[in-house]
Amino acid sequence: MNSDLVIKDLRVSVEDKEILKGVNLTVKAGTIHAIMGPNGSGKSTLAYTLMGHPGYTVTGGEVWYQGRNILELEPDERSKLGLFLAFQYPVAIPGVTVANFLRAAMNAHRAEEGKDPKETAIPMAQFRKQLREQMAALGIDESFARRYLNEGFSGGEKKRIEILQMAMLEPKMAIMDETDSGLDIDALKIVAQGVNTLYARHPEMGVLVITHYQRLLNYIKPHFVSVLMDGRIVREGGPELALELEEKGYDFLREEVASA
Amino acid sequence: MTMKTFPPLGEISDAMVIETSRAAGEPEWLTEQRAEAWRFFASAEPPYWRRTDLSKFKPEQVIAAADTAATSLYQEEDLADQGVAFTTLAQALRSHEALIRRYLGAAIEPTRHKFLALNAALWQDGVFLYVPKNVSVELPLTAVFSMPIPGGAIMPRNLIILDDGASVTFVEEYHSIAASDQAFAAPVTEIFLGNDSTLRFVAVQTWGEDVYHIGAQKARVGRGAALEWAAVNLGARVQHIEAETALEGDGSRVEWVAATFAADHQNLLTAPWLRHIGAKTEGHMDFKTVVKDQSYTTFDGMIKIEHQSRATVSRLEEHALHLSPKARSDSIPGLMIDTNDVAKAGHASTSGEVDEEQLFYMRSRGIPRDEAIHLIVMGFFEPVLDRIPNDALRQRIADMIEAKI
Repeated sequence: MNSDLVIKDLRVSVEDKEILKGVNLTVKAGTIHAIMGPNGSGKSTLAYTLMGHPGYTVTGGEVWYQGRNILELEPDERSKLGLFLAFQYPVAIPGVTVANFLRAAMNAHRAEEGKDPKETAIPMAQFRKQLREQMAALGIDESFARRYLNEGFSGGEKKRIEILQMAMLEPKMAIMDETDSGLDIDALKIVAQGVNTLYARHPEMGVLVITHYQRLLNYIKPHFVSVLMDGRIVREGGPELALELEEKGYDFLREEVASA
Repeated sequence: MTMKTFPPLGEISDAMVIETSRAAGEPEWLTEQRAEAWRFFASAEPPYWRRTDLSKFKPEQVIAAADTAATSLYQEEDLADQGVAFTTLAQALRSHEALIRRYLGAAIEPTRHKFLALNAALWQDGVFLYVPKNVSVELPLTAVFSMPIPGGAIMPRNLIILDDGASVTFVEEYHSIAASDQAFAAPVTEIFLGNDSTLRFVAVQTWGEDVYHIGAQKARVGRGAALEWAAVNLGARVQHIEAETALEGDGSRVEWVAATFAADHQNLLTAPWLRHIGAKTEGHMDFKTVVKDQSYTTFDGMIKIEHQSRATVSRLEEHALHLSPKARSDSIPGLMIDTNDVAKAGHASTSGEVDEEQLFYMRSRGIPRDEAIHLIVMGFFEPVLDRIPNDALRQRIADMIEAKI
């Protein structure tokens, strides 16, 4: 089974407007891969499509992961296959506590066909211990476990809770959608450290970091950088590409692409 | 369970009502009240309610309970030496007649409609709760009303009186033993809160699927007193509850939450009225409704800020969640302001299907669609479930909601 995420000629429309116009990209297992691009280039569309958001219509292409074309799978099936999306705008779920939500998610991952869910569920004591440890590592106050998920959370708190969910679910392929947006440097460092710790613990995992700015990549060092513009990957390279973009902006690439 | 019954309502005369009352040794003023209410019932047309379907309901065939077999009272500590009375209303006539005479009917006018008059005429079941001045009762007191015979009818009459500075939690529960009981319930609950008293009032309706429930509740709240009111409506074929909180005393306040979940062909109406009368009164209403299948619910709410009130704070939130396209929920919130001195008055209302963004977010974590909807619905009701003081009851309600989803 191939643990690389292989995107082939992916075309996606939103309300009849084509946003992704044939994306080809491979995120290798065990690597950190950054996708950079200006606003409106299709970065978030790519993230949502990989996770299976119903509002995005796939009009062509394939996405292979673990031997499956995941475009045929429901979002929860993709999650169980090992995919994870850290949302740019996490959604509030009133009345559902962070702890209960996480337990439901973990138990869904542990469920097995033909087995009583009670049998496969994570033991309460083990769950509490794990949650306490991960929250401490991310500098999240214990009281958050009993708060309703993302309700009234600040931008920084929401992002930390996203990383907490990632740390608890231990995905094999994590997609971070503009995780740096709205974070100050201190919060950014904590979030990046959370990702790095998880990656160090699971060096076989793949991480797809989607970002507008190079800033985040100072803290999460990518092996590869791809640039997305107007729905296509227009340039691929190593970490030096991110620095070049930081220095020159996206316009120089835009001119290059136009003249090519 | 056995119970004594009246003949069908169509065969009862006012002489019979008087005779029954006298045979039970009731005081003359009560016999009088019952006879008067009966005459109103016998002569009044059934109320015309546009949103409550009574077309299949035949009041003349109703067989009403003639004893208190449907009333069960639960308390976990002996409160008699603190002067607390918690007993059936019928029994309390022997020990607390003066209080009953003063308060019975002082909140809810029996002639508002035919079925309230029926309750005033024939009540047998019902609870009397009196908490004396400055007495605090820790553990909740519960009255459970269940239908003793199929096809029967009960008209519980509940009188809750808190003296100044008293504090208590009272739960009233309407509950069928068998899910298929065909029955009729017309309960009336009158609540009187003395100055600076605190009542946590929980009203739970979990009748079986063939019950008609036509009820009324009213709380009159004294100076500085606080009412927390949580209502849960899950059962019955048809429900019509008129509920009112009158913030009469200065600085009185209410936190009022409700959870209604209708499925199949249920037709559940709640009409909560919040009246601000005193100065600096504060009211918060948060009503949640879930509809499924071909059910139909109505929220007919009204906030009235009366002329003599001052510096009122009032907020109404009311949200409905639709789990099926054929289910319907009507919301008719009203706000009447008869004064120029309002500190804050707000209203928020939403109605719609389960949010796709919430569903996607939860599914992206591996939670299957059905389970995600379960979590969302349970979360939606959480602020109400949170107010239920007794773990076993909260669990039972949560299980019933789960089963309904």
